[in-house]
Amino acid sequence: MILDPKVPSGRIEEKWDKHRFEMKLVSPANKRKYKILVVGTGLAGASAAASLAELGYNVEVFTYHDSPRRAHSIAAQGGINAAKNYPNDGDSIWRLFYDTVKGGDFRSREANVYRLAQVSNNIIDQCVAQGVPFAREYSGYLANRSFGGAQLSRTFYARGQTGQQLLLGAYSAMMRQVGLKKIVLHTRTEMLDLVVIDGVARGIVTRNLLNGKIESFVGDAVVLATGGYSNVFFLSTNAQACNVTATYRAYKRGAFFANPAFTQIHPTCIPQSGEHQSKLTLMSESLRNDGRVWVPKNPGDKRHPNDIPEEERDYYLERMYPSYGNLAPRDIASRAAKRVCDEGRGVGPMGNGVYLDFSDAIKRLGKKVIEERYGNLFEMYERITGENPYETPMRIYPAPHYTMGGLWVDYNLMSNLPGLHVIGEANFSDHGANRLGASALMQGLADGYFILPYTIGHYFATTKLEKVTTDHPEFKNVEKEVEERIKKIMSINGKKTPTQFHRELGKIMWDYCGMSRNEEGLKKALELVPKIREEFWQNLTMVGEEGDLNIVLEKALRVADFLEFAELMLWDALERNESCGGHFREEHQYPDGEAKRDDQNFCHVAAWEFTGVGNKPIRHIEPLVFEYVPLTVRSYK
Amino acid sequence: MKLTLHIWRQKNANEKGHFETYQLDNVIEDMSFLEMLDVLNEKLILEGKEPVAFDHDCREGICGACSLTINGIPHGHEKNTTTCQLHMRKFNDGDEIWIEPFRARAFPVIKDLIVDRSAFDRIIQAGGFISVNTGQAPEANSIPVPKQNADNAMDAAQCIGCGACVAACPNGAAMLFVAAKVSHFAYLPQGQPERKRRALAMVEQMQKEGFGNCSNLYECEAACPKGISVRFIALMNRDYLKASCSEEKLEFSTQD
Amino acid sequence: MGFFSYLRSTILSKIVMAITGAILVLYVIVHTAGNMLIYFGKDSLNSYSAFLHSLGPLLWIIRIVLVLSAILHIITSIKLKFENWASKPTKYAVTKYLKAKFTSRTMIWTGLMILCFVVYHLLHFTFRTTNPQHYYPEFYQPHNAVSSIVLERFDVYRMVVLGFKNPIISLVYIVGVIIVGFHLDHAIQSMFQTLGYNQKHYFPTIQKSSTILSIIIVLCLISIPISILLGLVGGGI
Ligand SMILES: Cc1cc2nc3c(=O)[nH]c(=O)nc-3n(C[C@H](O)[C@H](O)[C@H](O)COP(=O)(O)OP(=O)(O)OC[C@H]3O[C@@H](n4cnc5c(N)ncnc54)[C@H](O)[C@@H]3O)c2cc1C
Ligand code: HEM
Ligand code: HEM
Ligand code: SF4
Ligand code: F3S
Ligand code: FES
Repeated sequence: MILDPKVPSGRIEEKWDKHRFEMKLVSPANKRKYKILVVGTGLAGASAAASLAELGYNVEVFTYHDSPRRAHSIAAQGGINAAKNYPNDGDSIWRLFYDTVKGGDFRSREANVYRLAQVSNNIIDQCVAQGVPFAREYSGYLANRSFGGAQLSRTFYARGQTGQQLLLGAYSAMMRQVGLKKIVLHTRTEMLDLVVIDGVARGIVTRNLLNGKIESFVGDAVVLATGGYSNVFFLSTNAQACNVTATYRAYKRGAFFANPAFTQIHPTCIPQSGEHQSKLTLMSESLRNDGRVWVPKNPGDKRHPNDIPEEERDYYLERMYPSYGNLAPRDIASRAAKRVCDEGRGVGPMGNGVYLDFSDAIKRLGKKVIEERYGNLFEMYERITGENPYETPMRIYPAPHYTMGGLWVDYNLMSNLPGLHVIGEANFSDHGANRLGASALMQGLADGYFILPYTIGHYFATTKLEKVTTDHPEFKNVEKEVEERIKKIMSINGKKTPTQFHRELGKIMWDYCGMSRNEEGLKKALELVPKIREEFWQNLTMVGEEGDLNIVLEKALRVADFLEFAELMLWDALERNESCGGHFREEHQYPDGEAKRDDQNFCHVAAWEFTGVGNKPIRHIEPLVFEYVPLTVRSYK
Repeated sequence: MKLTLHIWRQKNANEKGHFETYQLDNVIEDMSFLEMLDVLNEKLILEGKEPVAFDHDCREGICGACSLTINGIPHGHEKNTTTCQLHMRKFNDGDEIWIEPFRARAFPVIKDLIVDRSAFDRIIQAGGFISVNTGQAPEANSIPVPKQNADNAMDAAQCIGCGACVAACPNGAAMLFVAAKVSHFAYLPQGQPERKRRALAMVEQMQKEGFGNCSNLYECEAACPKGISVRFIALMNRDYLKASCSEEKLEFSTQD
Repeated sequence: MGFFSYLRSTILSKIVMAITGAILVLYVIVHTAGNMLIYFGKDSLNSYSAFLHSLGPLLWIIRIVLVLSAILHIITSIKLKFENWASKPTKYAVTKYLKAKFTSRTMIWTGLMILCFVVYHLLHFTFRTTNPQHYYPEFYQPHNAVSSIVLERFDVYRMVVLGFKNPIISLVYIVGVIIVGFHLDHAIQSMFQTLGYNQKHYFPTIQKSSTILSIIIVLCLISIPISILLGLVGGGI
């Protein structure tokens, strides 16, 4: 099937305006009659819930956290992009659009990206009005910095806690609506399934994490804002609870999953220190502005870094990418690190790191300047590793960080299932095959504040919805399925914990579907993953009760979905027989190791349709046309 | 490292809890405190016992989910550090560690070490916002904010809503949390129109939730993983007083 | 509840504590300064006392303000304390304080002890019921007298000296005053915090001053019974 993204006609600059004019409206009095279920309270979910409630819709919000403010958006450090051009350095909507399309290695939808760049400025306005304390100059005006290798300063930031401040802004706007009784908030409530009636998404089935109660909620539209699935790798920079359940369940109910293999690996994370490790911590990318990346020239060199003389060090990024040097883009820097570690030149006790060395910067600028710039990052590093980065070089290694893939949505952010809208990291989004730094926050808020509130109205105004209650047989069916699945998990009486399975799965995914992939490996993984899944359903050990707060059950349910989802990811990685952005197929590279796209055969979105667990899903296509940004080879030499 | 852990176990809100003692032999220095508990939990699950329930998520000190009072101090003895960022190298071989839930009337225990901190959400709901609808905002640079004020606002806004202040306060007072939010907005021009109403409303909700009074004991500041200063409590006191004096009538709804 | 409706607000209660506390603190400071006149001889102290008594209605206003402050201070503190106990129903198995000092955690107890002390003190020196035998009138000639009239005034000096010659009474005063010092150590800086005066650049100084001032007050006041016991003052009443 060829998917229709429903992109409006017209010149790209005018599409969104034109579309906004053409969309049908719901009158204020009628808005009260609609109920929208929003799952997720991250930037995307909270901003959408607040904006929809302000418009007059009835909104119910769900999160598995104890408070909406804990969504993983809170952890974003670096900043948020916008095309304000305050620094007068030549930025524009057009340039942000261009950079994002190119950065995504030409695997995103032009019209969406342009719209994203257009509303980026409104986001900053909105956040400032909400009281987000962005960094300021002495003049009192907003400060900007350059981020993630961009050649412009277009990133707005609030110390190292931009995501936190933006989320608290959206959260407080949302809580205001809770107080006004326009939003009903359900915390510690996990969505476990989607209810589709006559092909239309009409509700969800949830589990109350406190008492295990399975409940149904009916609405006129369902909005998924449930974040990314980097935790399929077990170790990632995501929070412990991040999972794929919501989107994967929707996929199983008929929604198409787009580009699941597009995952982003972040180059500067603290390497794993042992088996016990539960997550990887990101160190801001800004460190690469002053740190020099190196490994010893000789494999297996176990000397203390300070004892390795200059001529025996390999500053490989500077050597391979002389013009960008240590600032090479994320995917390129990550792969280079993997390559040197695979050569046995990795450092640290587990040989899984490269040095990020500040001694030159300290010599050049003085310790004080470095402390001012990175003091809190250095502290965090020391807290975690016990090493002092002023004296010993930092050790860093790439880690899974963001997932560009997600549920397929059209220009209106609606999936192929009418009524199911997907926003934020959960959709396959505007980032193509690689996301630029500081663009995820922008996209989440764009979707929630400025896009979905319009397009969802159009859906209501043009769709006739049957009156349905949770007594509808389909709700009962889904509830029953969910309950049975839980019963089944509870009844397995084996010997391995959910975490053990998760760790095993993560290792396979990291080894065969991580930073670089090849046909052989992917095929091997496609054999291994079903085996673990089978073992899971036989050899899982469970404790506690289902009608109680049960952290083992919560984890098991999530891991069960990862085990199925992993296979989908592998299929996508295998079938996309090209390299692009974060998806690096070793078979497709230029002699110097750069990703080699195949625009002839793969200039499209792959959207997968579920056909049963263990079966190969069906691959649908949405062709991508590049009318405004000419297809070129991405080069950072 | 070998450790002896005394952990508070409580089946649910209604049952009485007790301390249970566990021995852990294979603790590695590089583990975070929560990873150490993970190891314990994996062991318990494999023994067929219920693991210790505790709240956590980001494990990088920003979501505010992790809690635990470790040897009498919320988030443990390391300054400006959340439990998830506290590492075992700060402990010694053979240490005995007491792990208790955050305690306060307004934070009832749900299970083991998990407490209910939803009172904080209701306080925010009462007034911890600027009432601007999506779309109403003027151009971002139309209102300059003196850098000093922006920095002060950010100092206050860093609060992660973890509740350690309440847990540490001998009176179970939530003054630091509330003051941080009130001050964050009080320092910004955008926060001025609702400044008085906000202080009154948030404090009123704080009282309804059953938090205690402040006796200026400053334990909250010492335990706060984000180093939020009690000077914000001073600022809130003054804002509140001004608001009480200027408002026509001091509304304190007595029901509830 | 009318006037007492402030009690329903946690912050207004605190502010009442601080304002009444401030009045009491001021009184203690002035009273301490006044008591120091004992070192300038019988005449100084007695004139001072006579001066105070001559204020008439003003004295009564001061007394009423003091009594009202004390009442509000006490009622409020007790109400706050009961609430605070209730809001922390379960104590930790391990307790550790990082910033709360001994003096700040014991405010209610030092406060109540001060109350007892002050009651005794008033019975002793103001109502003179505990040791009426120390009460003497003094006959004196005003300094700038034009004639040779001899007036009668109350001999506070003698009363104090006779009182403190009794080591038990002295001990009660010394302990009482030290307890006042404990209370003040936390109280003075606490007033500033409660009333909203806490900025990074001066608050540490206020906190230090609070302790120093309390110590000064304690040293001044306990020096009186000690000097009298040692016979340094009032040897020849
Ligand atoms: C460490 C880190 C740093 C980053 N830094 C930056 C940066 O500097 N700039 C940038 O632009 N981007 C950054 N990103 C990426 C960005 O933070 C995320 O992509 C973005 O915040 C995702 O927002 P979201 O609203 O889509 O999802 P999230 O914030 O992840 O929210 C997901 C929500 O869904 C809920 N949920 C999920 N599943 C269920 C379910 N089944 N039932 C109920 N509720 C559910 C969760 O409770 C949560 O509320 C960073 C990411 C990480 C991990
Ligand atoms: C000479 C007598 C007294 C003086 C000078 C005095 C002064 C003060 C001051 C200045 C404060 C600080 C208020 C604040 O935090 O802002 C205070 C607090 C307090 N006082 Fe007193 N006080 C006196 C007597 C008493 C008595 C008799 C009691 C007892 C019942 C008492 C109980 C308290 C308590 C409990 C507090 C702490 C209140 C809190 O912060 O919650 N005080 N006092
Ligand atoms: C060594 C210490 C002290 C000495 C020698 C002392 C002495 C006196 C004397 C002589 C009087 C009676 C004055 C007169 O009637 O003319 C008096 C009154 C009083 N003292 Fe003290 N005092 C001491 C400490 C204190 C302290 C610590 C407090 C408070 C906490 C206090 C509170 C009062 C009060 C309230 C009165 C009554 C004032 C009045 O008549 O209105 N005194 N004191
Ligand atoms: S003020 Fe500090 S201790 Fe209190 S909730 Fe905020 S971050 Fe936690
Ligand atoms: S510890 Fe408690 S008493 Fe006040 S200053 Fe902090 S809230
Ligand atoms: S787990 Fe998020 S702050 Fe500790």
